[in-house]
Amino acid sequence: MTAKGVSLTDVYVVVAAYNEGAVIADVLRELSDVVPNVVVVDDGSTDDTYRTACRLARWTLRHPVNRGQGAALQTGIAFALRQGAAVVVTFDADGQHRPEDVPRLVQSLERERCDVALGSRFLGTTDGLPASRRLALRAAVLFSRAASGLQLSDAHNGLRAFTRRAAERIDLRLDRMAHASELLDQIARSGLPYCEVPVHVRYTEYSTAKGQRLGAAPRILFHYLLGRALG
Amino acid sequence: MTAFQLILVVALGGLLAGTAVAWIKGWASRPALSAWAGLWIVGLVAACRPEATTRVAGLLGIRRGADLLLYCSSLGMLAGFFMMYVRLRRVRTDLTVLTRQVAILTAHEGGGRDGDRGRGSGGPAPAEAGPPPAKGDPETFLKTS
Repeated sequence: MTAKGVSLTDVYVVVAAYNEGAVIADVLRELSDVVPNVVVVDDGSTDDTYRTACRLARWTLRHPVNRGQGAALQTGIAFALRQGAAVVVTFDADGQHRPEDVPRLVQSLERERCDVALGSRFLGTTDGLPASRRLALRAAVLFSRAASGLQLSDAHNGLRAFTRRAAERIDLRLDRMAHASELLDQIARSGLPYCEVPVHVRYTEYSTAKGQRLGAAPRILFHYLLGRALG
Repeated sequence: MTAFQLILVVALGGLLAGTAVAWIKGWASRPALSAWAGLWIVGLVAACRPEATTRVAGLLGIRRGADLLLYCSSLGMLAGFFMMYVRLRRVRTDLTVLTRQVAILTAHEGGGRDGDRGRGSGGPAPAEAGPPPAKGDPETFLKTS
Protein backbone atom coordinates (compact mmCIF):
# COMPACT_ATOMS: atom_id res chain seq x y z
CA MET A 1 0.00 0.00 0.00
CA THR A 2 1.56 3.27 -0.98
CA ALA A 3 1.01 7.00 -0.78
CA LYS A 4 3.28 9.04 -2.98
CA GLY A 5 5.61 6.10 -3.21
CA VAL A 6 5.81 5.29 0.49
CA SER A 7 4.77 2.06 2.11
CA LEU A 8 2.73 1.66 5.25
CA THR A 9 5.96 1.20 7.17
CA ASP A 10 6.58 4.89 6.57
CA VAL A 11 3.18 5.76 7.97
CA TYR A 12 3.01 6.75 11.64
CA VAL A 13 -0.34 6.62 13.37
CA VAL A 14 -0.60 8.97 16.34
CA VAL A 15 -3.06 8.00 19.06
CA ALA A 16 -3.63 10.54 21.83
CA ALA A 17 -4.94 8.71 24.88
CA TYR A 18 -6.17 9.84 28.25
CA ASN A 19 -7.54 7.28 30.67
CA GLU A 20 -8.49 4.87 27.90
CA GLY A 21 -7.45 1.76 29.82
CA ALA A 22 -10.80 0.09 29.19
CA VAL A 23 -10.43 0.04 25.41
CA ILE A 24 -6.88 0.93 24.45
CA ALA A 25 -5.66 -2.68 24.28
CA ASP A 26 -8.26 -3.65 21.67
CA VAL A 27 -7.69 -0.45 19.71
CA LEU A 28 -3.94 -0.97 19.60
CA ARG A 29 -4.17 -4.66 18.71
CA GLU A 30 -6.47 -3.90 15.78
CA LEU A 31 -4.41 -0.93 14.67
CA SER A 32 -1.04 -2.65 14.93
CA ASP A 33 -2.29 -5.41 12.64
CA VAL A 34 -2.75 -2.79 9.91
CA VAL A 35 0.05 -0.29 10.54
CA PRO A 36 3.33 -1.14 12.29
CA ASN A 37 4.25 2.34 13.50
CA VAL A 38 1.73 3.24 16.12
CA VAL A 39 2.68 6.13 18.40
CA VAL A 40 0.61 6.43 21.55
CA VAL A 41 0.83 9.67 23.47
CA ASP A 42 -0.47 9.04 26.95
CA ASP A 43 -1.66 12.41 28.17
CA GLY A 44 -0.97 11.88 31.85
CA SER A 45 -3.47 9.08 32.39
CA THR A 46 -4.12 7.89 35.90
CA ASP A 47 -5.20 4.40 34.86
CA ASP A 48 -3.16 1.68 33.14
CA THR A 49 -3.27 3.25 29.68
CA TYR A 50 0.48 3.85 29.66
CA ARG A 51 1.42 0.32 30.69
CA THR A 52 -0.90 -1.19 28.12
CA ALA A 53 0.38 1.10 25.39
CA CYS A 54 3.99 0.27 26.24
CA ARG A 55 3.15 -3.39 25.68
CA LEU A 56 1.19 -3.03 22.49
CA ALA A 57 2.28 0.09 20.64
CA ARG A 58 5.48 0.51 18.70
CA TRP A 59 6.14 3.77 20.48
CA THR A 60 4.69 5.16 23.67
CA LEU A 61 5.21 8.68 24.90
CA ARG A 62 3.93 10.02 28.14
CA HIS A 63 3.01 13.53 29.13
CA PRO A 64 3.97 13.78 32.82
CA VAL A 65 0.99 16.07 33.28
CA ASN A 66 -2.30 16.20 31.40
CA ARG A 67 -2.11 18.84 28.67
CA GLY A 68 -5.11 18.05 26.50
CA GLN A 69 -5.76 16.25 23.25
CA GLY A 70 -4.40 19.01 21.03
CA ALA A 71 -1.11 19.04 22.92
CA ALA A 72 -0.87 15.24 22.82
CA LEU A 73 -1.48 15.13 19.08
CA GLN A 74 1.16 17.77 18.47
CA THR A 75 3.60 15.76 20.58
CA GLY A 76 2.86 12.65 18.54
CA ILE A 77 3.19 14.52 15.24
CA ALA A 78 6.51 16.04 16.31
CA PHE A 79 7.78 12.62 17.36
CA ALA A 80 6.63 10.94 14.15
CA LEU A 81 8.41 13.57 12.09
CA ARG A 82 11.60 13.01 14.08
CA GLN A 83 11.31 9.32 13.30
CA GLY A 84 11.17 10.11 9.60
CA ALA A 85 7.48 9.58 8.97
CA ALA A 86 6.39 10.12 5.37
CA VAL A 87 2.74 10.22 6.37
CA VAL A 88 1.25 10.99 9.78
CA VAL A 89 -2.23 9.76 10.66
CA THR A 90 -4.20 10.80 13.73
CA PHE A 91 -6.51 8.17 15.21
CA ASP A 92 -8.83 8.36 18.22
CA ALA A 93 -8.08 6.15 21.19
CA ASP A 94 -11.67 5.40 22.16
CA GLY A 95 -12.31 2.78 19.49
CA GLN A 96 -14.46 4.98 17.26
CA HIS A 97 -12.36 4.48 14.16
CA ARG A 98 -11.71 1.45 12.02
CA PRO A 99 -8.05 0.66 11.38
CA GLU A 100 -8.98 -0.42 7.82
CA ASP A 101 -9.72 3.21 7.06
CA VAL A 102 -6.09 4.19 7.65
CA PRO A 103 -4.74 2.71 4.38
CA ARG A 104 -7.68 4.23 2.54
CA LEU A 105 -6.80 7.67 3.88
CA VAL A 106 -3.17 7.18 2.96
CA GLN A 107 -4.08 6.02 -0.54
CA SER A 108 -6.30 9.08 -0.96
CA LEU A 109 -3.31 11.35 -0.46
CA GLU A 110 -1.81 9.96 -3.63
CA ARG A 111 -4.98 9.41 -5.59
CA GLU A 112 -6.37 12.88 -4.90
CA ARG A 113 -2.93 14.50 -5.06
CA CYS A 114 -3.49 16.21 -1.76
CA ASP A 115 -1.45 16.76 1.39
CA VAL A 116 -4.24 16.35 3.89
CA ALA A 117 -6.91 13.66 3.89
CA LEU A 118 -9.71 14.27 6.37
CA GLY A 119 -12.01 11.46 7.39
CA SER A 120 -15.70 12.20 7.05
CA ARG A 121 -18.33 10.21 8.85
CA PHE A 122 -21.04 12.04 6.95
CA LEU A 123 -19.66 10.90 3.60
CA GLY A 124 -19.16 7.48 5.10
CA THR A 125 -21.20 5.62 7.67
CA THR A 126 -21.84 5.67 11.37
CA ASP A 127 -23.03 3.15 13.93
CA GLY A 128 -25.09 4.35 16.85
CA LEU A 129 -24.58 8.08 16.37
CA PRO A 130 -26.97 9.75 18.84
CA ALA A 131 -29.32 12.30 17.28
CA SER A 132 -28.20 15.06 19.64
CA ARG A 133 -24.58 14.51 18.70
CA ARG A 134 -25.43 14.41 15.01
CA LEU A 135 -27.08 17.80 15.41
CA ALA A 136 -24.12 19.20 17.32
CA LEU A 137 -21.69 17.89 14.70
CA ARG A 138 -23.73 19.44 11.92
CA ALA A 139 -23.65 22.77 13.74
CA ALA A 140 -19.89 22.39 14.17
CA VAL A 141 -19.55 21.76 10.43
CA LEU A 142 -21.38 25.00 9.65
CA PHE A 143 -19.24 26.89 12.13
CA SER A 144 -16.01 25.39 10.76
CA ARG A 145 -16.99 26.26 7.21
CA ALA A 146 -17.57 29.86 8.22
CA ALA A 147 -14.44 30.10 10.37
CA SER A 148 -11.91 28.30 8.19
CA GLY A 149 -13.44 28.64 4.76
CA LEU A 150 -12.95 24.92 4.12
CA GLN A 151 -16.00 23.34 2.58
CA LEU A 152 -16.09 20.17 4.63
CA SER A 153 -18.83 17.69 5.37
CA ASP A 154 -17.38 16.76 8.78
CA ALA A 155 -15.59 19.07 11.14
CA HIS A 156 -14.23 17.24 14.12
CA ASN A 157 -13.31 13.81 12.94
CA GLY A 158 -10.15 12.57 14.63
CA LEU A 159 -9.15 10.38 11.70
CA ARG A 160 -6.88 12.37 9.41
CA ALA A 161 -3.77 11.81 7.32
CA PHE A 162 -1.03 14.30 6.55
CA THR A 163 1.89 14.08 4.22
CA ARG A 164 5.19 14.96 5.82
CA ARG A 165 5.02 18.37 4.16
CA ALA A 166 1.63 19.06 5.73
CA ALA A 167 2.57 17.66 9.14
CA GLU A 168 5.58 19.95 9.25
CA ARG A 169 3.29 22.93 8.79
CA ILE A 170 0.91 21.88 11.54
CA ASP A 171 1.59 23.57 14.85
CA LEU A 172 -1.27 23.02 17.25
CA ARG A 173 -1.11 25.64 19.96
CA LEU A 174 -4.55 25.12 21.43
CA ASP A 175 -3.91 22.33 23.86
CA ARG A 176 -7.41 21.16 24.48
CA MET A 177 -10.43 20.38 22.33
CA ALA A 178 -10.38 23.61 20.33
CA HIS A 179 -7.42 22.17 18.42
CA ALA A 180 -9.81 20.56 15.92
CA SER A 181 -10.93 23.95 14.64
CA GLU A 182 -7.42 25.35 14.88
CA LEU A 183 -6.19 22.52 12.70
CA LEU A 184 -8.70 23.38 9.99
CA ASP A 185 -7.60 27.01 10.15
CA GLN A 186 -4.00 25.97 9.69
CA ILE A 187 -4.87 23.76 6.74
CA ALA A 188 -6.76 26.63 5.15
CA ARG A 189 -3.95 29.10 5.78
CA SER A 190 -1.27 26.76 4.48
CA GLY A 191 -3.04 26.49 1.14
CA LEU A 192 -2.17 22.80 1.03
CA PRO A 193 -4.57 20.70 -1.03
CA TYR A 194 -6.92 18.59 1.03
CA CYS A 195 -9.58 16.01 0.41
CA GLU A 196 -12.26 14.23 2.38
CA VAL A 197 -12.43 10.48 2.63
CA PRO A 198 -15.53 8.56 3.67
CA VAL A 199 -14.83 6.67 6.88
CA HIS A 200 -16.83 4.61 9.30
CA VAL A 201 -17.31 5.83 12.85
CA ARG A 202 -18.78 3.52 15.45
CA TYR A 203 -20.35 4.99 18.55
CA THR A 204 -20.29 2.70 21.51
CA GLU A 205 -21.65 3.38 24.95
CA TYR A 206 -18.06 3.94 26.01
CA SER A 207 -17.13 6.39 23.26
CA THR A 208 -20.36 8.30 23.63
CA ALA A 209 -19.77 8.69 27.36
CA LYS A 210 -16.13 9.64 26.74
CA GLY A 211 -16.94 12.20 24.06
CA GLN A 212 -17.49 15.88 24.56
CA ARG A 213 -20.74 16.96 26.16
CA LEU A 214 -22.84 19.51 24.34
CA GLY A 215 -22.38 21.80 27.33
CA ALA A 216 -18.65 21.94 26.59
CA ALA A 217 -19.26 23.68 23.27
CA PRO A 218 -19.29 27.26 24.63
CA ARG A 219 -16.01 26.67 26.49
CA ILE A 220 -14.37 25.18 23.40
CA LEU A 221 -15.67 28.04 21.30
CA PHE A 222 -14.30 30.54 23.81
CA HIS A 223 -10.85 28.94 23.77
CA TYR A 224 -10.87 28.80 20.01
CA LEU A 225 -11.87 32.44 19.54
CA LEU A 226 -9.42 33.61 22.18
CA GLY A 227 -6.67 31.54 20.58
CA ARG A 228 -7.42 33.15 17.25
CA ALA A 229 -7.45 36.61 18.76
CA LEU A 230 -4.22 36.20 20.71
CA GLY A 231 -2.46 34.23 18.02
CA MET B 1 -7.12 63.87 57.68
CA THR B 2 -9.51 61.07 58.55
CA ALA B 3 -8.44 57.73 59.94
CA PHE B 4 -9.17 56.04 56.61
CA GLN B 5 -7.06 58.59 54.75
CA LEU B 6 -4.28 57.88 57.20
CA ILE B 7 -4.53 54.13 56.57
CA LEU B 8 -4.48 54.76 52.82
CA VAL B 9 -1.44 57.00 53.05
CA VAL B 10 0.46 54.49 55.18
CA ALA B 11 -0.45 51.59 52.85
CA LEU B 12 0.37 53.49 49.67
CA GLY B 13 3.54 54.88 51.22
CA GLY B 14 4.59 51.35 52.07
CA LEU B 15 3.95 50.23 48.50
CA LEU B 16 5.92 53.17 47.18
CA ALA B 17 8.81 52.33 49.48
CA GLY B 18 8.66 48.69 48.33
CA THR B 19 8.77 49.86 44.74
CA ALA B 20 11.81 51.98 45.53
CA VAL B 21 13.55 48.97 47.07
CA ALA B 22 12.67 46.90 43.99
CA TRP B 23 14.14 49.67 41.83
CA ILE B 24 17.41 49.68 43.80
CA LYS B 25 17.69 45.89 43.91
CA GLY B 26 16.76 45.56 40.24
CA TRP B 27 13.95 43.07 40.92
CA ALA B 28 11.86 44.27 37.98
CA SER B 29 12.21 46.36 34.86
CA ARG B 30 12.50 50.13 35.29
CA PRO B 31 9.47 50.94 33.07
CA ALA B 32 7.27 48.53 35.04
CA LEU B 33 8.43 49.95 38.37
CA SER B 34 7.92 53.49 37.09
CA ALA B 35 4.32 52.63 36.20
CA TRP B 36 3.72 51.13 39.64
CA ALA B 37 5.34 54.13 41.36
CA GLY B 38 3.14 56.46 39.32
CA LEU B 39 0.06 54.55 40.40
CA TRP B 40 1.00 54.75 44.09
CA ILE B 41 1.74 58.49 43.79
CA VAL B 42 -1.63 59.16 42.15
CA GLY B 43 -3.21 57.13 44.96
CA LEU B 44 -1.37 59.17 47.57
CA VAL B 45 -2.51 62.44 46.00
CA ALA B 46 -6.09 61.18 45.86
CA ALA B 47 -5.92 60.09 49.50
CA CYS B 48 -4.41 63.35 50.74
CA ARG B 49 -6.37 65.72 48.48
CA PRO B 50 -9.73 64.10 47.65
CA GLU B 51 -11.00 67.39 46.20
CA ALA B 52 -8.33 67.08 43.48
CA THR B 53 -10.01 63.95 42.15
CA THR B 54 -13.31 65.82 41.98
CA ARG B 55 -11.69 68.52 39.85
CA VAL B 56 -10.23 65.90 37.49
CA ALA B 57 -13.59 64.11 37.43
CA GLY B 58 -15.29 67.35 36.46
CA LEU B 59 -12.88 67.76 33.54
CA LEU B 60 -13.89 64.28 32.33
CA GLY B 61 -17.61 64.93 32.73
CA ILE B 62 -17.98 62.81 35.86
CA ARG B 63 -19.66 64.47 38.78
CA ARG B 64 -17.79 62.99 41.76
CA GLY B 65 -14.15 62.18 42.33
CA ALA B 66 -15.18 58.96 44.10
CA ASP B 67 -16.94 57.83 40.94
CA LEU B 68 -13.81 58.55 38.92
CA LEU B 69 -11.76 56.43 41.30
CA LEU B 70 -14.32 53.64 41.13
CA TYR B 71 -14.34 53.64 37.32
CA CYS B 72 -10.56 53.71 37.16
CA SER B 73 -10.30 50.91 39.70
CA SER B 74 -12.77 48.77 37.76
CA LEU B 75 -10.95 49.36 34.49
CA GLY B 76 -7.62 48.66 36.14
CA MET B 77 -8.90 45.40 37.62
CA LEU B 78 -10.33 44.24 34.29
CA ALA B 79 -7.06 45.06 32.55
CA GLY B 80 -5.21 43.26 35.33
CA PHE B 81 -7.36 40.14 34.97
CA PHE B 82 -6.79 40.12 31.25
CA MET B 83 -3.05 40.54 31.61
CA MET B 84 -2.97 37.76 34.18
CA TYR B 85 -4.92 35.52 31.82
CA VAL B 86 -2.54 36.23 28.96
CA ARG B 87 0.42 35.54 31.20
CA LEU B 88 -1.15 32.35 32.51
CA ARG B 89 -1.78 31.27 28.94
CA ARG B 90 1.86 31.83 28.13
CA VAL B 91 2.92 29.79 31.15
CA ARG B 92 0.58 26.99 30.05
CA THR B 93 2.08 27.07 26.58
CA ASP B 94 5.57 26.84 28.08
CA LEU B 95 4.42 23.95 30.25
CA THR B 96 3.13 22.14 27.18
CA VAL B 97 6.41 22.66 25.35
CA LEU B 98 8.31 21.33 28.35
CA THR B 99 5.94 18.39 28.71
CA ARG B 100 6.36 17.60 25.02
CA GLN B 101 10.13 17.61 25.32
CA VAL B 102 10.01 15.27 28.31
CA ALA B 103 7.63 12.95 26.47
CA ILE B 104 9.82 12.79 23.38
CA LEU B 105 13.03 12.33 25.32
CA THR B 106 11.57 9.47 27.31
CA ALA B 107 9.82 7.73 24.43
CA HIS B 108 9.40 4.04 25.02
CA GLU B 109 9.86 1.60 22.19
CA GLY B 110 7.58 -1.36 22.68
CA GLY B 111 6.68 -4.51 20.90
CA GLY B 112 4.23 -3.10 18.40
CA ARG B 113 2.04 -5.73 16.80
CA ASP B 114 3.89 -8.56 18.54
CA GLY B 115 3.98 -6.82 21.87
CA ASP B 116 1.41 -9.05 23.53
CA ARG B 117 2.54 -12.17 21.77
CA GLY B 118 5.77 -12.75 23.58
CA ARG B 119 8.17 -10.38 21.91
CA GLY B 120 7.95 -8.10 24.87
CA SER B 121 8.97 -4.52 25.29
CA GLY B 122 12.05 -2.66 26.26
CA GLY B 123 13.78 -1.43 23.16
CA PRO B 124 15.85 1.72 23.34
CA ALA B 125 14.33 5.13 22.92
CA PRO B 126 15.10 6.98 19.67
CA ALA B 127 18.71 8.00 19.37
CA GLU B 128 17.92 11.34 17.72
CA ALA B 129 15.66 12.28 20.59
CA GLY B 130 18.79 13.44 22.39
CA PRO B 131 19.81 13.05 26.04
CA PRO B 132 19.26 9.96 28.14
CA PRO B 133 16.13 8.22 26.99
CA ALA B 134 14.14 6.01 29.33
CA LYS B 135 15.31 2.47 28.91
CA GLY B 136 11.90 1.23 28.09
CA ASP B 137 10.69 0.22 31.49
CA PRO B 138 7.25 1.73 31.96
CA GLU B 139 7.21 0.92 35.63
CA THR B 140 10.40 2.85 36.28
CA PHE B 141 9.16 5.82 34.34
CA LEU B 142 5.86 5.87 36.16
CA LYS B 143 7.61 5.87 39.50
CA THR B 144 9.87 8.74 38.61
CA SER B 145 7.31 10.94 36.87
